[in-house]
Amino acid sequence: MSDTPNITVVAGPPGIGKTTWISQFLSAAGLGYLYPGAGAEAVDRLRIGYRFPQVSVIEEEAALALLSDLPESGRVYIELGFHIDLAMLPLNGLPCRRVAVVPPNLAESEWHSWADEVIIGNNIETPQAGRLPSLWRAPLTGQVFDPPSLDELLIELTGGAYGQVIRLKGIFELPDGQAFYVDFAEGIPGLEYTELKLPRWLEGRPSRLSSLEVVGYDLQQTMIKETLLLTCLSDEILAQYQRQYQEHYGLEGLSETKGAVA
Amino acid sequence: MKLAVMSCIHGNYEALNAVLSDIDAQKAEQIYCLGDLVGYGPDPNAVVEMIRSLAIPTCQGCWDEDIVEGLNACECSYPSQLAEQRGRIAHEWTNDVIHPEVREYLATLPMTLRKDNLCFVHGSPNSQHEYLLPSMDGFAVLERLLSADADVLFCGHTHVPYDRRLEDAALSVKVGAADNGEPLQQLQVPLKRIVNAGSVGEPRHGRPNATYVIYDTDTTQVTLREVPYDYHKTCEAIIEKGLPPIFAWRLARGVEFAERADDPSHVCER
Repeated sequence: MSDTPNITVVAGPPGIGKTTWISQFLSAAGLGYLYPGAGAEAVDRLRIGYRFPQVSVIEEEAALALLSDLPESGRVYIELGFHIDLAMLPLNGLPCRRVAVVPPNLAESEWHSWADEVIIGNNIETPQAGRLPSLWRAPLTGQVFDPPSLDELLIELTGGAYGQVIRLKGIFELPDGQAFYVDFAEGIPGLEYTELKLPRWLEGRPSRLSSLEVVGYDLQQTMIKETLLLTCLSDEILAQYQRQYQEHYGLEGLSETKGAVA
Repeated sequence: MKLAVMSCIHGNYEALNAVLSDIDAQKAEQIYCLGDLVGYGPDPNAVVEMIRSLAIPTCQGCWDEDIVEGLNACECSYPSQLAEQRGRIAHEWTNDVIHPEVREYLATLPMTLRKDNLCFVHGSPNSQHEYLLPSMDGFAVLERLLSADADVLFCGHTHVPYDRRLEDAALSVKVGAADNGEPLQQLQVPLKRIVNAGSVGEPRHGRPNATYVIYDTDTTQVTLREVPYDYHKTCEAIIEKGLPPIFAWRLARGVEFAERADDPSHVCER
């Protein structure tokens, strides 16, 4: 039997690279992933599910029972959002390995005190104690975006047009049927776009989940929401795009998923 | 003789004043304006009144035309759905506040102005809405220059200034059937030049500063001028007057999205 606990809990500031650190271990079979307190449309939860279909993304309601009775061969990675109070974790009673991912210039913090192991992550600014940023999430399921409009919005958002954004991540559906993961952390130059290897959705509005999360200060949430809506395609324009892409890719590849082309 | 050529003021009175002061300091003897006096900015009436009071020869820009005739853009008008929605907001706001005599004045503006071998247009000799991008195919640019019958064509519309020379241009023309043995006819075209004046009031070069050009008719020297001004005042006025705050944010960063300036091969169909 291994001395390493089967449960690894990972914490750290927003944008530090917690999900990236966890992802390196998720290629193996029989693994579980849990992101407590974040809801079904948390971007990291969706991203892990899309990128690692063999990983079991654990529902929060079932988590405590499942973790308490974890088989010896089972391994679970738990990611803690920055808004979770480490002292108040219901999981604290479980045997686990606590990993803190922290920036290189941070020598002391609550994450250091809490962790069994400290990993150096991205070189970002840590939010000041007593001034926690706010998290705003927009469920986007069914929305398909005009790509140049989405680019403009993301540049404006991350450039501070709607408040100071320290972290942004989202999963966006595009009219060619592809879904993209977009990632931004203040202090790291540029926006990172990663194509998710999902079947092209070329018939109607996608029913698979997508979402946007923005973390920052003084966020003008109403204005972000209004602008986000201006970047979404109408039914009519989406149908025009999909007709063009269906002709381009052919319809013979329709997969079992309704509306998706493999 | 020193000429000052400016374009795309877009209702930005603060920027216009700064550029006029700089033109004074440069001792330019004549000013030409390539249009887009209105749109996006908070002071369209004041800008037009200033241009009129100084009797500055001015071409009609695409925004000026839209205020006179209503929106009727080709697909090249906006780079994105978001930009189009915002353009509509700017158009409707301007349309609501513009004074009747200002609208009448905009309707009188010509598409083209000329001085000797110089031609002045907003977009291209074909249309106020067509972009002459610095990366545009040389043959297409030459065609525009020849159609304008000018050695130097001044344009705006892209909001990014440039000075492009077409040197030693030679056109080969074959007359008659391809196999009739007739030699090619060569047409030698003298040096041509296209000068984009940038934008006074809505720059797109990554800084908030206004741009315009000075052209010396004796030496043919072109000087691209970049003029700092108190853009905060314009930003405040944008918000005070109820225009979308994002216009102020973009103006302060010199990232006004203008219109579709990313396809040098597109021919405007308006």
